[in-house]
Amino acid sequence: MTAVAPGARTRRGRSGPRLRRAAVGWGFALPFTALFVVFLAGPVLASLLMSFTDLRSADVRNPFAVNIVGLRNYVRLFEDELFVKAAVNTAIFVLLGVPLTMVAGLAAALGLNSGLTRLRTVFRVGYYLPVVTSIVAVAVVWRFLLQPDSGLVESLLRLVGLDGPNWLGRSDLALPSLIVMAAWRNLGYQMVIFLAGLQAIPQHLYEAARLDGASGWQQFRYVTLPSLRPTLLFVGVIATIGYLQFFEEPLVMTRGGPLNSTLSVSYHIYNQFGFGNYGYASAMSYLLFVAIVLLSILWFRLLRSSEEVSR
Amino acid sequence: MTTPATKARPPVAKPPGSPGGPARRPVRRRRDRVATVVLHVLLVAGLLAMVGPFLWMLLSSFKSEAEIRLVPATWWPEQFTLANYRELFGRLDFPTYFFNSALVATLVTLGNLVFCSAVGYALTKLRFPGRRALFGLVLGSVMVPSMVTFVPLFVLIANLGLTNTYAALVLPFLAGALGAFLMRQFMFSIPDELVESARVDGASELRIFVRIVLPLCRPALAALGILTFLAHWNSFIWPLVVATTEDKYTLPVALALYSVGQNQIKFGLLLAGSVVVVLPVVIVFIVLQRHFVRGIATTGLK
Amino acid sequence: MKTWRRAGAVVVLAAMLAMTGCGRDDGAGEEASAPVAEGKATGDITVWAMGTEGEKLSVLADDFMRENPDAKVTVTPVPWDGAHDKLATAIAGKQTPDVSLIGTTWMGEFAKTGGLDPTPADLIKKEDFFEGAWNTTVVDGTSYGVPWYVETRLFYVNSAVAARAGITAPPKTWEEFKSAIVALKTKGGAKWGVNLLPPGSAIGSWQSIMPFVWSNGGDVATGGGFTLDSPQAVEAYAFYKSFFDEGLAPKDLAQATLEPAFLKGEIGAFPSGPWHIGVLKEQGGADKFQLWQMPGRQSATSFVGGGDLAVFKDAKNRDGAWKFVAYLSRPDVQTKWYQTISDLPAVKKGWDDPALSGDPLLSAFGKQLEDAKSPPAIPTWEQIAAAIDGEVEKMTKAGAKPEDAAKAMQQRATSIGTGA
Repeated sequence: MTAVAPGARTRRGRSGPRLRRAAVGWGFALPFTALFVVFLAGPVLASLLMSFTDLRSADVRNPFAVNIVGLRNYVRLFEDELFVKAAVNTAIFVLLGVPLTMVAGLAAALGLNSGLTRLRTVFRVGYYLPVVTSIVAVAVVWRFLLQPDSGLVESLLRLVGLDGPNWLGRSDLALPSLIVMAAWRNLGYQMVIFLAGLQAIPQHLYEAARLDGASGWQQFRYVTLPSLRPTLLFVGVIATIGYLQFFEEPLVMTRGGPLNSTLSVSYHIYNQFGFGNYGYASAMSYLLFVAIVLLSILWFRLLRSSEEVSR
Repeated sequence: MTTPATKARPPVAKPPGSPGGPARRPVRRRRDRVATVVLHVLLVAGLLAMVGPFLWMLLSSFKSEAEIRLVPATWWPEQFTLANYRELFGRLDFPTYFFNSALVATLVTLGNLVFCSAVGYALTKLRFPGRRALFGLVLGSVMVPSMVTFVPLFVLIANLGLTNTYAALVLPFLAGALGAFLMRQFMFSIPDELVESARVDGASELRIFVRIVLPLCRPALAALGILTFLAHWNSFIWPLVVATTEDKYTLPVALALYSVGQNQIKFGLLLAGSVVVVLPVVIVFIVLQRHFVRGIATTGLK
Repeated sequence: MKTWRRAGAVVVLAAMLAMTGCGRDDGAGEEASAPVAEGKATGDITVWAMGTEGEKLSVLADDFMRENPDAKVTVTPVPWDGAHDKLATAIAGKQTPDVSLIGTTWMGEFAKTGGLDPTPADLIKKEDFFEGAWNTTVVDGTSYGVPWYVETRLFYVNSAVAARAGITAPPKTWEEFKSAIVALKTKGGAKWGVNLLPPGSAIGSWQSIMPFVWSNGGDVATGGGFTLDSPQAVEAYAFYKSFFDEGLAPKDLAQATLEPAFLKGEIGAFPSGPWHIGVLKEQGGADKFQLWQMPGRQSATSFVGGGDLAVFKDAKNRDGAWKFVAYLSRPDVQTKWYQTISDLPAVKKGWDDPALSGDPLLSAFGKQLEDAKSPPAIPTWEQIAAAIDGEVEKMTKAGAKPEDAAKAMQQRATSIGTGA
């Protein structure tokens, strides 16, 4: 988060008096900040405090009649066998899911941005459809598709003489299946952002590259990718956040099973909130938050130079 | 050049493998043609994989409950029936729920477009004390798992006396941190020189923002609009919790009412409901995606 | 403006109080109920009910308003999906209705919040209800609601498969049950004799294993604590597990495949509640199945679930609310409710009507209700249930020993506690 490159660097010493600048800046930022502070800061503070207590759902009518337990909730996490299992699953999910989705999303955006001359809208809508379809319906459809003896994936595999396994019923295949499903589902979301990002790349860069005889790949590598860095940073951070909070797929597809092989940290948190262990669940959420912050810092480090480059 | 024309031009240059580039040699042209065919094959295959499940959902919404549950599953309905839709519209006060969903999603989307782009402008093109802290706050809150603030937020809304109002459905989401982050990232690619020269010409910041920066942000605003509308059109648990009477339910809440039982799910209703819910989002997408056209951000800048 | 300041004050107050810490007072125990005023109900009565119950309750509410012209009942239907969160937040924000339907296994949790009103003994008579159902409302010795409708579990058996297997009468004992299931597979031609785990995941498998524990004289907990590792329980787990070890029961049936496979005769039997009568009829199997009672050992106990009605402490019209609840518990209203949406009466007299007692399938459920149990109404029950599910899954799918599973269940349940 240290990579906030001030856009004003180039015009240092030019602007008017400090006070005026502050007024204008905050003028633009104020409506957002006000709403934001009221509806987010308060609840966040309250939940953070909650994580240091043994608050349970049974206490909600008297939330102050609870014990302060300090860091005990946080310590307990590491003794929680299910949490450790969930943390490992989540790590696998992020490590495989984020790159897979980003590559697919970018590829789709590139293909649909300019590779097509006709039916472009149809294609774009098509690629976006999995995002808009409700997760419950998606789950129903996928479960039917993946059914071990009769699913449509199975019948496709049979066409080429293969025998498909019980995708969701086997503890070694369930998580990979969900990763593929999540990539399939989220690709369209990233495609939308990449499509918007591609529009901001200056034409003359491509023209210049072509004059220099750059191949398609070289244009992509030396023009598209560097220019896309602010977008990549956004997508990378958002994908990491989204996949660290990976939750809907196991909820509707496997309920965390079989044998907890698809239990994720967020799903575990969801369960703990459901069980009414508000204090413990909050502690878990803030540990997840720390993981998200650390990984995001990594993204900012990785793509930091971008912001200077692009300006 | 301080007032760039905002009309979109068709894209001139095309990234890798695109047809019709300024090919100078026949070899290159043939290679391009092969690449084009490959690209199209890939895109069509991808399209089938993406649309397949949706198509199944659409077709199956015209099947009877028994046929949906048939093993092995089938694509084409043996007997087309509108029973699911008839039941859905018969039991649901559809106009009310549709109105609620549309109102909430539209207001939240508009709010995000305005507030997030304003704060994005402040974060990229203005210099003021507290800017870094503000960005830290925005970024930090994108990262807080939303589940954790759920109960406190509800208690807050209850204490404000807002339960069962549209305000409770809209206010907490008008200024999304995600949108602010998105707009900030996009505004980085708008050249500072553009803003600078407008300032030299004596334009006010508001004027620069509205007349120069916003038009250049069309693709980003379209993306933000699509994503925000979708998220709030589909949102389920928050509307369910803050609405205490039926007349404030949104469409997803109302649909869940009849399709998910205590011990069983009615697939026919669920699929038909999902089809109905998806349509408006698709329309919003089609309308907004047209703004994914190259702006003029860069012409004239060297 | 005022409300905004109030909200700010709440946050600050929360922070300060949380900093200083107040600690809990351990004043749990029996709570006395206040009497309800005589006479007809008056005023507005707000009611939440889930799913179909919520959709159709207005039928009964209209009748009630005809009898009590000064009362106005407003029913808000709530989806089952998310209902738990809605109730929890409503209690937290003190934004509850007057009455709500509450899932039987949630009673412990919500009663412990102090948000539910104790059942007025002058208005509601415990003896009118099935004992197993009544116990779902009792938390720490006090009843906080009234059973509204019930369900219990029987074995659905494919009649053709049973006929081929030469089974003429339902098995009475565990031994008979076992050999019947074996016969369904070997002679009846079913691929699986019985399906015990819920299709798609192991969530909720406690509902199919606990009846065996109860029937063997075991229980989830006694006054002294959890008894998930009692010898009776271990024996029941071993019996349950044997169906998987001997290839009689599938380990991972995919979602939504149970009914078609059952009707085709690929699955011989499965335990479920009364709603499956309708599901099977819908799939063209109206006359293709029969029902078996739970097989017995010490007893022949099944699981009882359903829905309870509770009145909230924050109710604006407490007396009216209880009068509405009492009305819904009247035998004739219970029968009418069955005729409206097929919910089985929780009141014993509600079964006297020929619509219920004359139906062989339903009366089988009615008979089982005489011997049906529910898990203890403690706030941590859902979490303990999940722990049991997890160990059942390890036992059936990963081959864990019943003794080890029992030990793990007991240890996890003990560390979760009863939430007292």
